[in-house]
Amino acid sequence: MSAFTLLFGFAILSFAIRNRSFLKLLSLSVLGVSAYLTLHGYALPLQGFYLSDGIAFFELILFIVLSAFVLNEDENISITQTLFIGTASIALLESQTLLNFIISFEALSIISFVLVANIKNTTQASGAVKMFIAGSIATALIVLGTTFYLFEGASLNAQIGSTGTFGTIGLWIMLSGLFYKLTIVPMHTWAADSYAQIKASNAALLSGVAKTVAAIAIFQTFSPFLLQHIAFNLPILIALALITMTLGNFLALFQKRVAKILAYSSIAHAGYMLLAFVAVKSSYASTGLLYIAIAYIFMQSALFLLIGNISKDSTQLRLDDLKGFGKKDKLVAFLFTVQLFSLAGVPLLAGFLSKAVLVYAVVDVDLPIVALVTLLNSALSVAYYVWIVKHIYFDEGDSKLQSLQALPLFAQLILLGGTLYFGVFALDVFKVII
Amino acid sequence: MSYVALIFLPLFGSLFIYLPTRNLGGTKYITLALFIFMFSQMIALFTALPEHGYMMLGEYLPVTKFDFILTLQVDRLSVIMLLLSSVLLILVTLASWNVEKKPAAYFSLLIFFSGAIFGVFLSTNLLWFFIFWELTLIPMLFLVGIWGAEGRIYAAIKFFLYTHIASMLILLAFFLMYKESGTFDMTLIKESMLSTPVLIYFLLFIGFAVKMPLFPFHTWLPDAHVQAPAPVSALLAGVLLKMGAYGMIRLVLLLLPETSQKYAWILLTLGLITLLFAGFMALYETHIKKMVAYSSISHMGLIAIAMSALSFDSLSAALYEMIGHALIISPLFLIAGFFHQKLHSWEMKDMGGIMQKAPYLSAIFVLAGLGALGLPGTMGFIGEISILISAIESFGAWIVVILFGSLLASAYLIWTFRRVIYGQMSAKVSATDFSMHKVEFFALVIFALLILFFGIFPSSLFEVINQAFSPYLNAGGAL
Repeated sequence: MSAFTLLFGFAILSFAIRNRSFLKLLSLSVLGVSAYLTLHGYALPLQGFYLSDGIAFFELILFIVLSAFVLNEDENISITQTLFIGTASIALLESQTLLNFIISFEALSIISFVLVANIKNTTQASGAVKMFIAGSIATALIVLGTTFYLFEGASLNAQIGSTGTFGTIGLWIMLSGLFYKLTIVPMHTWAADSYAQIKASNAALLSGVAKTVAAIAIFQTFSPFLLQHIAFNLPILIALALITMTLGNFLALFQKRVAKILAYSSIAHAGYMLLAFVAVKSSYASTGLLYIAIAYIFMQSALFLLIGNISKDSTQLRLDDLKGFGKKDKLVAFLFTVQLFSLAGVPLLAGFLSKAVLVYAVVDVDLPIVALVTLLNSALSVAYYVWIVKHIYFDEGDSKLQSLQALPLFAQLILLGGTLYFGVFALDVFKVII
Repeated sequence: MSYVALIFLPLFGSLFIYLPTRNLGGTKYITLALFIFMFSQMIALFTALPEHGYMMLGEYLPVTKFDFILTLQVDRLSVIMLLLSSVLLILVTLASWNVEKKPAAYFSLLIFFSGAIFGVFLSTNLLWFFIFWELTLIPMLFLVGIWGAEGRIYAAIKFFLYTHIASMLILLAFFLMYKESGTFDMTLIKESMLSTPVLIYFLLFIGFAVKMPLFPFHTWLPDAHVQAPAPVSALLAGVLLKMGAYGMIRLVLLLLPETSQKYAWILLTLGLITLLFAGFMALYETHIKKMVAYSSISHMGLIAIAMSALSFDSLSAALYEMIGHALIISPLFLIAGFFHQKLHSWEMKDMGGIMQKAPYLSAIFVLAGLGALGLPGTMGFIGEISILISAIESFGAWIVVILFGSLLASAYLIWTFRRVIYGQMSAKVSATDFSMHKVEFFALVIFALLILFFGIFPSSLFEVINQAFSPYLNAGGAL
């Protein structure tokens, strides 16, 4: 029995469970047992899957975050979707061959489409359609890239080996499809709208969970290729990383809706994650990516879940609606602020150390200018995070936002625990290798 | 008592004061008791310090692969800064005794700040030093943004962004140092560095110059000072700016002495420009708090000039002036803020003749002002004369031009006395009751006594300061 089998089985079974409290309780139990199985090294029991200690550690984090999602959800179908996302994530993270990677990646994509298909109004429909179109293009690119790759006689049922011209072209076409999902510029445009237009908890799953899982899996699968052609790949990766983070941060500065700010912030963070690909030669690259993935999964999930809970329609939540919120609900305003500061890279929160390790990885491969631009980007991003904090605390206003119910509040406290823990205790992340 | 508790207890404990929905009545007492306890711990630590070098206080949370270890070590320089910070925290708490708006939140932020500032001066691991360095910004952001004057939001965000950008340069410099040396330990890094790229020097230099601040990186400070509540201005001038000067001494001058020697002219030039530019700006100002803010910046220029001389005497003089500046500027800010609170105006034209209405308060204002212009018998005189002597030794007689800065200070301060304290009593002053809360006045009296005590008995302070730099002294007195 592996965590994948258990989660997959229970996700199917969950369709038949009507009582929400019972479903939540069972889901939490299953996630707990899954964590236990993962900790004891039970990998997906098929050929081409492997569970390294780094991936096991990340899966453990994933189960904790998914538990927060389960606690937070107010619909049975959302809990089921959360479990399916967890299932596909495990498969993708444990994939060791290109074939398994592609299948798992597509499985995660299809579940993401199902997730956004939970449409309640025209705005959400618009976001879902944009994401579906983007996803289709990405899939097409992955398939096209695969054909080029196979053209040289390479095998899909193995890790990526040395490649010639066609193979290199094929893998770059595949990467462009995958970067579509990671919201790397110029393949980012769908994300800003989709994340801001769909239900907040779905946006949390997509931008918080699916994106980080995808980033780690892509890094695991493609790092041999990136290393092999480092001279060719490096300028492209540097340009993509810097443009993505800069554009994401600049566009976030001009937004008035909170979900849109978080969406652009998510794009900027994709740029930060790409730094691990830039610094692939450094031994700190994988640690940095794992760290930012862990930090990001806590911060981004918490923020999207939170705006979904405090507003009736999170897609329409404007900065002005936050005025006076700090006075109205001290605790929730505090939770909101801590996660925002963590995204901004304020120390003693996970966001700082994760960015610090990634930036050092870039310094380690002798790219101080790239590191400087990244740090200045991080400073730039502080402007819009602090701008949100300004609305919460500094501006006077009669906030109409709701307080949190007990279970969503508990979910937020779990996510806060992660942000605080990994802001101080870095050893756990450094001990493992992905 | 583990010293790590002096950092993390205030950092996390402040949340337990802030978060309860009902305001705790005794927060100011808790805050004061904590700061007095921290001060007493620092006194005990000071008496236990070895003659030379660092004293290890403990290592925590080790991540050896990245040398990310919370190493707490102190020497005389850091303990002097800790003593100064804890004294100012006590006095600022007393000066805030009457704060009416959200007192629990206000004092919890002061407590949070104390944890961060202790972290800065206790930690010798560069990454942890940076973490605490950055954390000091968070309470300041809220203290200026919530309790500040009309333009508080602009000032708070400008302050935060400006200093945060500077911090990013410092962080990059630390990473480059780690790459060169394989360690973040500031006590080992000098010997461990294979080379010292000039980029490291300039990144650190700009980063700390923003914090001090030196021209042209100073523009955040007048706004922050003017908009911040008076006790927070005192904290900004007394502690936050000193962090910049401490960083410049500890991590630029002492860690990179050769490069610092080579580019000392830059520090000297910027120091001179800061001294004179801010002096002229203070002369031009009619806004009382802006005048004090520019006076503060001008004195930081003087400290930079002392640092640029890079000798044992000049660094001792710089550290003395840093302490003097903290004790002199803080009461000026507090009293300027009190005048505004009573008169609802920052303009000096609305003041005048306050001496007749509030003689004791005016006397302290005049005393601090005389200290700022360097009158014998006050700390200001000793600081300025010792800087002048050490600068002449290093640069020659032409450096007496810095006396022009003192001349400017005399001009703007005496003119301020004429407009605010003496002269004809304005209608506003006449109609105002200047009675001050006893506790707040007590804080000002302490400031006044310290200015006079260290002005009359400077050797009591110099003995301590000289020991701070004696490990770096070699035969010629140069570093």
